[in-house]
Amino acid sequence: MSQGNTKTTITYDDTSVRQFMIASIIWGIVGMLVGVIIATQLSWWQMNGKFLESISFGLFKGEGLQYITFGRLRPLHTNAVIFAFVGNMMFAGVYYSTQRLCKARMGSDLLSRIHFWGWQLIIVAAAITLPAGLTRGKEYAELIWPINIAVALIWVVFAINFFITLAKRNEPSLYVALWFYIATIVTIAMLYIVNHLSIPTSWIHSYPIFGGLQDGLVQWWYGHNAVAFFLTTPILGIMYYFLPKAANRPVYSYRLSIIHFWSLVFIYIWAGPHHLLNTDLPRWLQNLGMLFSLMLWAPSWGGMLNGLLTLRGAWNQLRTDPVIKFFAAGITFYGMSTFEGPLLSIRAVNAISHYTDWTIGHVHSGALGWNGFMAAAMFYWLAPRLWKTKLWSTSLANMHFWVGLVGILLYVAALWTAGVSQALMLNQLDETGSTLKYEFVETLKSIHIEYLLRSIGGTLYLVGFILCGINIWMTARSGVATNDTAEVAVLQREKKDFMSWKESIFNDPLAYIFLGIVLVCLWFFLPKGANIAALVAAILLSIKAVMSFRKNGEQWANWHERLIENYLPFTLLVFVSVAIGGALQIIPSLVINRDKNIEGRLQELYTPLELAGRDIYIAEGCYNCHSQMIRTLKPDVMRYGRTGVADDYSHLGESIYDHPYQWGSKRTGPDLAREGGPLAQGAKHMRIGKRDNVWHYNHFLNPRQTSDGSNMPNYPWLYESKTDFKSLPKKIAVQQKIGVPWPAMTKDEIEQSAREQAMEIATNLVQGGVLLDSNDKLQGDELRNYLSEQKVVALIAYMQKLGAYKEVKREGGVQASPLDPDSYRPGSMPVEKPAETPAAPTPAN
Amino acid sequence: MSDSSSEPKRGHFAKEKGEVILREHEYDGIQEYDQKLPNWWLFTFYGAIIWFAVYWFLYYQTPTFRTDREKIIAEMTAIQEKKAAELEKTLASLDDQTLINVWAADPAIVASGEAIYTTNCVACHAADLSATMDAGGTKIPLPGRSLIDGQWTYGGKPMDMFKLINQGSPAGSPGLNGALMQAWGQMLTPKQIAEVTAFIIAKNPQEFPVTP
Repeated sequence: MSQGNTKTTITYDDTSVRQFMIASIIWGIVGMLVGVIIATQLSWWQMNGKFLESISFGLFKGEGLQYITFGRLRPLHTNAVIFAFVGNMMFAGVYYSTQRLCKARMGSDLLSRIHFWGWQLIIVAAAITLPAGLTRGKEYAELIWPINIAVALIWVVFAINFFITLAKRNEPSLYVALWFYIATIVTIAMLYIVNHLSIPTSWIHSYPIFGGLQDGLVQWWYGHNAVAFFLTTPILGIMYYFLPKAANRPVYSYRLSIIHFWSLVFIYIWAGPHHLLNTDLPRWLQNLGMLFSLMLWAPSWGGMLNGLLTLRGAWNQLRTDPVIKFFAAGITFYGMSTFEGPLLSIRAVNAISHYTDWTIGHVHSGALGWNGFMAAAMFYWLAPRLWKTKLWSTSLANMHFWVGLVGILLYVAALWTAGVSQALMLNQLDETGSTLKYEFVETLKSIHIEYLLRSIGGTLYLVGFILCGINIWMTARSGVATNDTAEVAVLQREKKDFMSWKESIFNDPLAYIFLGIVLVCLWFFLPKGANIAALVAAILLSIKAVMSFRKNGEQWANWHERLIENYLPFTLLVFVSVAIGGALQIIPSLVINRDKNIEGRLQELYTPLELAGRDIYIAEGCYNCHSQMIRTLKPDVMRYGRTGVADDYSHLGESIYDHPYQWGSKRTGPDLAREGGPLAQGAKHMRIGKRDNVWHYNHFLNPRQTSDGSNMPNYPWLYESKTDFKSLPKKIAVQQKIGVPWPAMTKDEIEQSAREQAMEIATNLVQGGVLLDSNDKLQGDELRNYLSEQKVVALIAYMQKLGAYKEVKREGGVQASPLDPDSYRPGSMPVEKPAETPAAPTPAN
Repeated sequence: MSDSSSEPKRGHFAKEKGEVILREHEYDGIQEYDQKLPNWWLFTFYGAIIWFAVYWFLYYQTPTFRTDREKIIAEMTAIQEKKAAELEKTLASLDDQTLINVWAADPAIVASGEAIYTTNCVACHAADLSATMDAGGTKIPLPGRSLIDGQWTYGGKPMDMFKLINQGSPAGSPGLNGALMQAWGQMLTPKQIAEVTAFIIAKNPQEFPVTP
């Protein structure tokens, strides 16, 4: 410790902490309320708008309201809870603890203000655009591009503010909480920017630069690690600061902090592909996703152990202090969901859990149990200190705890049951052993009771959180907002950040780790023979490293002790650790010739009208409930594949031009990958697939007319709003830029083609005898002309195109190639189609 | 924190004596022990790392695991064979007269046929088999053909119906206004298809009179 030559008195910026905390509570209530609404929509389709008829005494009339359908509100719920609730909570925790751990006021008051108000403006913008149907169509990355840029800028403001604080700190070394904050800031910036790379077609619309498999990989590299670095690492940092403070006990183990921090940030990044298991994703990526997820178990539990074991000697406070109650329960839920995560990443388990409510239950045990309860613990601890008073009511906080806990347990148990039982029903064969036993909609009806329980659980949780809001509000009113001051010794410049870059990078521990990673990667990527050599070398190196550690452990520890007194080298090493996994998974799939991955099937290009329909599909958020991915699993192929085509899973080539990809992550409705079909007889553009145009027309108007028991909303507005033909040329031009081989067409040709196809479909519909609900006087040619302009026709055009591909012959099977481990595998040559398989009725052409 | 004689010692002194170390540095009043890593925890970590190497080795160096493609083709081929055998068995026991005289005459079979019909067929053929729906007083057509108007586009014998339902609209047929029926043999067993056929027969008693 520096025996301060000079002392100075600083005032902490606690105003920002209070602002972020209040914002977090308000947005938390909003986000959870939206969650409860969409939960009830799954039980009662009328909650998508029709219920307004009864509660507004007839003022509102309609079968649905486009702004509040499940497809549009679900992104609002996830964004509100992740970025608004946890985001603001994290900023409150980071601002409070960083200042005290650095013994310095935040870097810049101006930046703090820009950060706070900028973030709230972003949230407001999200709350307006998402219900309006403005979306990028990628989960947790739905916001349109101008808001993306704002998010990136505000994040940079936060980063600058944070790092200035680190730079001017009056504390030589960085506490473990700060390590986690650094990892959060650096990694989220990287993930967010890469996954949001897109080219605008207008102020409110853009296409992501990645498509198909690549977009899927990038999306889940982002999506999974948003969970890791937005919902986990900052909260672990908050745990490391607030838990020992609240329990008044030392942290359990410093060395555990080191080990679990570095292993967590390094391993987490690799696990993304576990969201794409059992698809046609190259097996080596699936293997990495699964195996890294299993390795992630221990690092995650390291955090849990350091939390729970810190409470040793403080367990008696559990009876009296709601803060400790919330912390203990929150960390326990962290342990539970980080055990469940690796479990769900096992391919065999994932075959059951994926696309069902089990996954939804899993994320909610994390979101409600870990994030929600850690937030509550922090709020209850902070409020009396920020307003210099006592917590208004301890019993109300206890009440919050029990109501919330019962809510979580109801919610999670209901969705476990729903997920597992629906999956078992979907996979159930009948007594002949050759046919599936249940229709999709039968399995949906069977989990109705679980959906009810889930809404009740969610409502209880919301009620508990409102109690928290009231308690904090009353606490604030009873006290006075105060900014803490502290007398600190000014730290001399030479006592911190003294390590040279050379010293921080060239040293034994890093050399071993770096060489080890290189050898392991060579083992992944080298051809047969050489890969074994790399494996042997890696094992020998590990033995050497262990021996060297036994001998020079002190030095290694000393290096790390010095490293944490140098924030820039530390940050660089964190960045390198988190960058490796993503780079090694994503870059090979970008570099390898994309044709390699099509496996004999190449997607048919959309027509202009089909593209317009696809954009409507995305705007309505259909991907929230429908997948377009038949996995390489028997029940999937039996249910969604075509009769007699044994390998009729979704091949990668079938979605290669899809920007963004639409494989989906949850099936509240059935998969749609094979809905489309060939050109209708005598038609120029119109296709008719598994179901005909009239079926789709009736279905969008009232899904229960065609599928009794469906919980899909009605979409009456698709029959009353016009397709945007004018924007198509610009959209197609952008798609050409990102590599979709559209034929050359003039603006007029594009619009003409779209209108021709729309007219074909409208003619077909009118011949089929359809009527309009709103205006049944419109008939014949008038009706046809009217319908041809409406969105429903464009959407039908898209539905009828789904899964269309052409067969592509490839010369000489799979060529072994670098960066593609699967190509070296013995016996990895493609299997010839069995002779007894009848020729596939090609869905297109 | 409370004082007691069992409290760990700080820094080097404790290290020399092999006791639990309480690190000397404090951060804003927060102290840290330096406990050893729990062995069971280390074993889970090492175990997962070793499993990584073992699994990767087994998959890429040995034929232990099939590729997903090999697996799904084998499984689906087996299912298809089973299904073909099932169909052959059913076809062997069915003919026009059996469907009319035995299947359609059995109320239990007709009832289960109706249940299957209600789940799968009403969207296009309507609950009353008229292929129309009521929209504010007027009847508007559904995508399918009427099953009670005496017109049988693809053959009016019970076995024609069975085959049509099983295989869907014949290849190359223009369909009704372009609408083609899917091959229900994918989702239904031959027995279930026979039951639906029996239900349709039972709804058309004049066309399919029971012959002794």
